[in-house]
Amino acid sequence: MKSWGLAIALVLISAALSFAHPGFLTVPNLINVARQISINGILAVGVTLVLLTGGVDLSLGSVVALAGVVAASTAHPDQYPVVVPVALGIATGALCGATNGLMVTRGKVPSFIVTLGMMTAARGLALVVAKGRPVSNLSTDFTCLGGDVGMVPIPAMILAVIALVTFVVLKNFRLGRYLYAVGGNAEAARASGINIGAIRMFAYTACGALAGVAGVVLAARITTGQPNAGVGYELDAIAAVVIGGTSLSGGVGSVGGTILGALLVGVINNGLDLMNVSSYYQAIVKGVIIVGAVWLDRNRQQS
Amino acid sequence: MKTITYKLISGILAITVLCGCNRQNRTAGGGKQVVVGVSLLNLSSEFIVMLNEAMEAKAGELGVKLVVNDAQRSAERQIQQVEGFIAQQVDVIILNPCEVDASSPAVDKALAAGIPIINLNSATQSTPTAFVGSHDEESARIAMEYIAKRLNGQGNVVMMQGFMGQAAQLKRDQGAREILAKNPGINLLACQSAEWDRAKAMSLMENWIQSHGTKINAVFAQNDEMGMGALLALERGKLKDKVILISIDAIADALQAVKSGRLDATVFQDAKGQGATAVEVAAKIARKEPYERETFIPFQLVTKENAGNPR
Repeated sequence: MKSWGLAIALVLISAALSFAHPGFLTVPNLINVARQISINGILAVGVTLVLLTGGVDLSLGSVVALAGVVAASTAHPDQYPVVVPVALGIATGALCGATNGLMVTRGKVPSFIVTLGMMTAARGLALVVAKGRPVSNLSTDFTCLGGDVGMVPIPAMILAVIALVTFVVLKNFRLGRYLYAVGGNAEAARASGINIGAIRMFAYTACGALAGVAGVVLAARITTGQPNAGVGYELDAIAAVVIGGTSLSGGVGSVGGTILGALLVGVINNGLDLMNVSSYYQAIVKGVIIVGAVWLDRNRQQS
Repeated sequence: MKTITYKLISGILAITVLCGCNRQNRTAGGGKQVVVGVSLLNLSSEFIVMLNEAMEAKAGELGVKLVVNDAQRSAERQIQQVEGFIAQQVDVIILNPCEVDASSPAVDKALAAGIPIINLNSATQSTPTAFVGSHDEESARIAMEYIAKRLNGQGNVVMMQGFMGQAAQLKRDQGAREILAKNPGINLLACQSAEWDRAKAMSLMENWIQSHGTKINAVFAQNDEMGMGALLALERGKLKDKVILISIDAIADALQAVKSGRLDATVFQDAKGQGATAVEVAAKIARKEPYERETFIPFQLVTKENAGNPR
């Protein structure tokens, strides 16, 4: 299994952190980690689908902000039942994703450029919808989506469900195999009768919808729709995915790897915060890990 | 070929003359209308949006025309915008600087072109024609003094910093540390950046609760966004009644939280006063009237007692 190396690395780093700080390996802290990786995890699962087809989605962070703002503006107390803001937020994300997909498949514009455009446009739209300021005063029905049930954080449960469903789809469904096939060798996939356009369209739309979910969860967690939230989230998500062993050229990767990648980044962030390591060094460590993980993986494959 | 060129040239000339006439015709209540170019730090920050609204309101009142550009946190873009204002021959420029050093060329260029320039809200290395704003250090001093007073000079405090290296972060750090130096009983337990961001602040506070737990007596967040994030984490950790929390800016959310007793205090930075005064000074300069070279708008501590009406 490809993800074993990563799982071992995660265990080793966790062991080192629990030696370095007694507060690390405690139930409340591990719950913290689960809560803190939820949003990045949801985005990372979504972008895994797009990366598998050989594309990329740079618009995630902005779509998170837009979906959050749209959801928040319909989530004031006594306005609508909570399903309305949630559905609108997710639909906003799916719509952005579908637009990306349409431009990539029908418009034949490279995904890097399409989603770069969406990144700017969705950010602008979020600022327009929110009139440049945070949308606050949200109902408790809505904000409790960012809270806990007993000890378990709801965002982490949402991530778990999404990861599980995606895992099953990729593993056991024809759709999953087609996603790999399109990214692995588009010509061969076309020759064997796969509708490449439809598969790509699915990947972008699903990725957008998951960004919508992340936007709703984020707005619930911070109890506001922030038009300037989520800056750089796409890169954090892509980092988790590549650490998890998904290839940027498509066709290779797994949801399990992505979740491990997100966990690794989350554990390190958390550990460095606990040890009060300065923000400057945290950024350096994160950079080294992204490149280091892929480099190790590459070496192992060649040997 | 020749005739086309002639037609083109005469056409351009005609347009230029028309535009020229148009420029002369821009009158409001007698004199030539004053045009002020404004380059703002970042229009997706709530405080700057408030600053902008105050300026527009004052400009409407004084019959001044504002041309507002958003530098989106980039000093380089800000310099380009000021170059644009110089080319447009505006009467006065109001600069809301992105950076202390990097925005200085904008000031130098305006002055070299003979256009008066006013720095709004924060300072640059180069000295402008006039300054309207506040001492950012003062806001942090007020916040830390509040904490020291509430803790009777004894206890542990954590500080959430803004985006590292930005003027506001550096000055708020400096102000806070001045007060810490005067209060040896107050111990700075941890100090990290949450990049002015609510979600990041929430995660950081959760991690601090994990590593320091009930040792934390007070939290100082360098802006309200982070203060609100810290507040949510403290409330979820059921620690809020044991921890004093103060942040800076008095944005709508924070004021609401102070009013309802969730946030202990915020420090009011007067966006309305700053924006309106800057436009007033600009109008005075343009009309060759006497003006203040430096206007400092004071900060104000907002607690539950005065949360209803911070000016």
